[in-house]
Amino acid sequence: MTTTSGAIAVEKRPDEPAGTVVLDSVTKIFGESTAVDNISLRVEPGEFLSLLGPSGCGKTTTLRMLAGFETPNSGSIRISGEDVLGIPPYKRNVNTVFQAYALFPHLSVAENVAYGLQQKKVPKAEVREKVVSALEMVKMRSFADRKPTQLSGGQQQRIALARALVNQPAVLLLDEPLGALDRQLREEMQLELKLLQSQLGITFIFVTHDQGEALSMSDRIAIMREGKIEQLADAETIYSSPTSAYVAGFIGQQNFFEGTLNKDGNLENSGGKIRAAIPLSAQTGTAVRAAIRPEDITIDSKEPGPQINAISGSLVSISHLGETLQYLVDVGGGHTVLARRPRPGAPRLELKSKVWCTWTPESVLMFHAHEESPGSHDSPEE
Amino acid sequence: MPTENSHIKILASAPAARIIARELNRRRFLGFAAAAGGAAFLAACSSPESTLSNGLESQLSMYSWGDYDAPEVLTAFTKDLGPKLTVDSFGSNEEMISKLVGTKGTSGYDIVVPTGPYIPQMVENNLLMKLDHRQIPNLKYMDPAFLGRDWDPTNAYSICKAWGTTGFVYDKTVITRDLFTWNDFFDAAMNEASGSVSILDDPGEITGMFYWANGIDWNTTKKEDIDAAEDFLVNKLAPHVAAFNSYPGSDAVPQDLQALIQIWNGDARLGISESDDPDKWVWRLGAPTTELWMDNWSIAEGAPHPKAAHAFINYVLEPANSLAELDYIGYHTGAIDIEQKAKDEGLEMLDMVFFTPDQIATMKDAEVNEAQERTVDIWNKMKAAAGA
Amino acid sequence: MSRLRLPRPILAFPAIGWLLIFFVAPVLLVLWFSFGYKPGVFQTHANDKLSFDRYAEALNPTFFTTFWNTLWVGVAGTLLCLIIAFPVAYWMAAKIPSRYRGLLIALVMVPYWTNFLVRTIGWQIILAPHGWLSAALNWLGLIDGSLDILYTRSAVLLGVVYNYLPLMILPLYVAFDRVSQDMREASKDLGAGRIATLLRVTIPLAMPGIIVGTLLVYIPLMGDYITATVLGGAKGNMAGVLVASQFQTAQNWALGSAMAVLLILLILVSAALAGLIIWLLLLPFNRSRRLVIGVAK
Repeated sequence: MTTTSGAIAVEKRPDEPAGTVVLDSVTKIFGESTAVDNISLRVEPGEFLSLLGPSGCGKTTTLRMLAGFETPNSGSIRISGEDVLGIPPYKRNVNTVFQAYALFPHLSVAENVAYGLQQKKVPKAEVREKVVSALEMVKMRSFADRKPTQLSGGQQQRIALARALVNQPAVLLLDEPLGALDRQLREEMQLELKLLQSQLGITFIFVTHDQGEALSMSDRIAIMREGKIEQLADAETIYSSPTSAYVAGFIGQQNFFEGTLNKDGNLENSGGKIRAAIPLSAQTGTAVRAAIRPEDITIDSKEPGPQINAISGSLVSISHLGETLQYLVDVGGGHTVLARRPRPGAPRLELKSKVWCTWTPESVLMFHAHEESPGSHDSPEE
Repeated sequence: MPTENSHIKILASAPAARIIARELNRRRFLGFAAAAGGAAFLAACSSPESTLSNGLESQLSMYSWGDYDAPEVLTAFTKDLGPKLTVDSFGSNEEMISKLVGTKGTSGYDIVVPTGPYIPQMVENNLLMKLDHRQIPNLKYMDPAFLGRDWDPTNAYSICKAWGTTGFVYDKTVITRDLFTWNDFFDAAMNEASGSVSILDDPGEITGMFYWANGIDWNTTKKEDIDAAEDFLVNKLAPHVAAFNSYPGSDAVPQDLQALIQIWNGDARLGISESDDPDKWVWRLGAPTTELWMDNWSIAEGAPHPKAAHAFINYVLEPANSLAELDYIGYHTGAIDIEQKAKDEGLEMLDMVFFTPDQIATMKDAEVNEAQERTVDIWNKMKAAAGA
Repeated sequence: MSRLRLPRPILAFPAIGWLLIFFVAPVLLVLWFSFGYKPGVFQTHANDKLSFDRYAEALNPTFFTTFWNTLWVGVAGTLLCLIIAFPVAYWMAAKIPSRYRGLLIALVMVPYWTNFLVRTIGWQIILAPHGWLSAALNWLGLIDGSLDILYTRSAVLLGVVYNYLPLMILPLYVAFDRVSQDMREASKDLGAGRIATLLRVTIPLAMPGIIVGTLLVYIPLMGDYITATVLGGAKGNMAGVLVASQFQTAQNWALGSAMAVLLILLILVSAALAGLIIWLLLLPFNRSRRLVIGVAK
């Protein structure tokens, strides 16, 4: 399993080699609601692409259309250059790792892994050989003759992966595969998955609602919202240059400030003013929202010099997050500000004392306020 | 199973099939189903024992054949005299006897309705209570011809409830020749009516047909007689039989299920009266000989309500009630001059109820004897042969 | 709030007691009677002399003919129920939106609100040679003359399917309902078509329900004689009739018990035999799919 793909599909489009996935204006409607709304997307061979978004954003529906379990109402889908509309799941050269693994409880681990090969009438000796190597790949060789129900969640996860990968699909679809695992196991599996993907060179399309998972593994991330792709870019771009408050809020945590644009291009509200290095080009008086990441906020007990981007409040809590300390500051009016500083050099502050939060204009992102921000930490969740 | 009468509780048992079929047939399905629910409720809340002002017990329980009394008579009894009536039904004398034997006088039944030949052994086994004729003055309305039968010469334990006989009906659109005797019945069964024959689901009635047809004593215990009956019935007749049905009057006749049907006279009358096309059915009394069976009012030993039981028997012997019973069940009740009264009332098809002395002379009484096991065996073998 | 805590075995006592009193005890009693004899016209049984004579008496040609008939109705009726219930249950569990399922289950159960005998006699009236159905079919020109179905085995099977189908549909429905959509999708995702998915995933996973449904229909059907006699007449002669005739008419409880024991044995042996046959038939198929890797070298 070192080749890029076992696809034998006729290369109908030379510009879309095996492992390429193209969605062209795809729409899927369930009854009254539009689950996927005119999505276009191209995934390159060997790419690790995550579909990230909250539940109901259409990411799973998109994946299911790729697998063949749903048919789009309009638009076209091509896998390895071949139009797959109307082709049933069992004839597509893609495999899926299901959220709940969907291992067959009546078959042994080895028989689960062999299932796809047996359907393709692969000779028995070859089946055995491939099953063994797939199990070795996921370090589950010694569990081959057990029943899936005798395995832990993480072990079942590996079997589900081996069962899909043994078929050497052109594209592997993963539907929140790590969702059921505990945190530590999830982080280990993230690393392994990424390693496996880079070794095999198979296209991975990974559905998740966990931004950490998406950020740690993906080559590119498609942030979805209400059936549309909000932003499609690599992790760095999405983190540093979100194109909307929605994306900004979804990836990492943000402090949001609401206000209106004054004549200087700054946000202004009853508490003061916020300046962004790159001003929003909009009319004066427009409702705007500024976003500042917690790690960009400096916190101190001393009043800073005269600068615009500062706010004072009462320190509510200090939490230890490993390498960083996190501060929660009540700035009045029911608003809080979240700040994070690296442990070395972090200021020593008294709870309930008056503190000052400051940040540079470069760290401020300014958006139109009408957009929602699902992950907003205007009022922190924790 | 319930009737329209809310005072009467009739418990479900196997013979209920007959009533259900009849009720369904009468297209009173919904009322029937509703009543079925009510009966279970009523059965659950019977009132405590007490004595009424007329000296009778407040309850009375009867164990009889299914659907064997005119509901209006039962209702009127409770209304006129007070005791609440519970009716449970059985499908054979053996079933009734085994229940009485099994409970050893604690069955709770007051009135039972055995068929004549079973009475001597029931008396011998202390299953029946002696009747007090002083409490049954209406005995005077009974025709002496139907009293003092061999099995109870002084009517010490039983009084005729109804008597009947066996014959057959045939559909003359299928069987166009005239049939008269049991031999004619067999001949048609094995020819034009083959596969459309129904016989009574009763061992004695089936072997009886063979003996009556061939002039053999119905109560024979001779091995060669029984062997001959078995050979004919199992090997010759059974393959032509479509159904074993004790109450074809409630379904087979009105629904034209078969063309040639062995049937009791009262049931034939019921069936033909409910048929959409009564004229096509011909009734024949079995010939050259046939049976005379008589069911009797008796009181079970250990009956908890003996006064009410005597009062009930006396009540049904009342000429008006006796006529109502006859009209409902279609069998002669043994009352004096009831034939004339029935004619005066304008009741129909009385040739299936009343018979001439010549005809009655051809009707034989049954005995319970050691041939019974063979008889049951023949019956089972016939069923196997007919079902194969 | 404190809660009374009972050791678990105690909670099982009512069920075990119920089984002992209403199942084990009667069966043992029947077994005991079967070794006795009928001493006289007015006694049903006696056990002062024990023997196997009643079994010898029971095992006669009549008995075999009747049992063969019973087995035929039992097997054909069960298979028919299975064949009809299978797609219905699958459709209810896998294809119908869950909000309609409760309604469908209620509809399946509706006939059970009516007495068994009433339902069966209802069919007798419908199927009568000159009944409503006959009239309707004549009017439609589908048949000419009387409808000759009552008192045939077809009528018996029709009645059996009508009376027993819910007993098959419900366990199958539960079984299919428990085979999740995920399992079927996983199978298709791995290259198995509809038939392969049905054979390799859906049926094996639903097997406990299929077995339960089959036994739930087969066992009572083998003892049922009402459906068969009401709709089959002479053609519906069942072993149950034979047993009942000994208990009720012949009043020979010893012989009736021996027949009942034989009927129970027939049911058990035939069910075990059917299981064995199916297992043997599937053996080559299962063996070809078996994959044992063994311990790593």
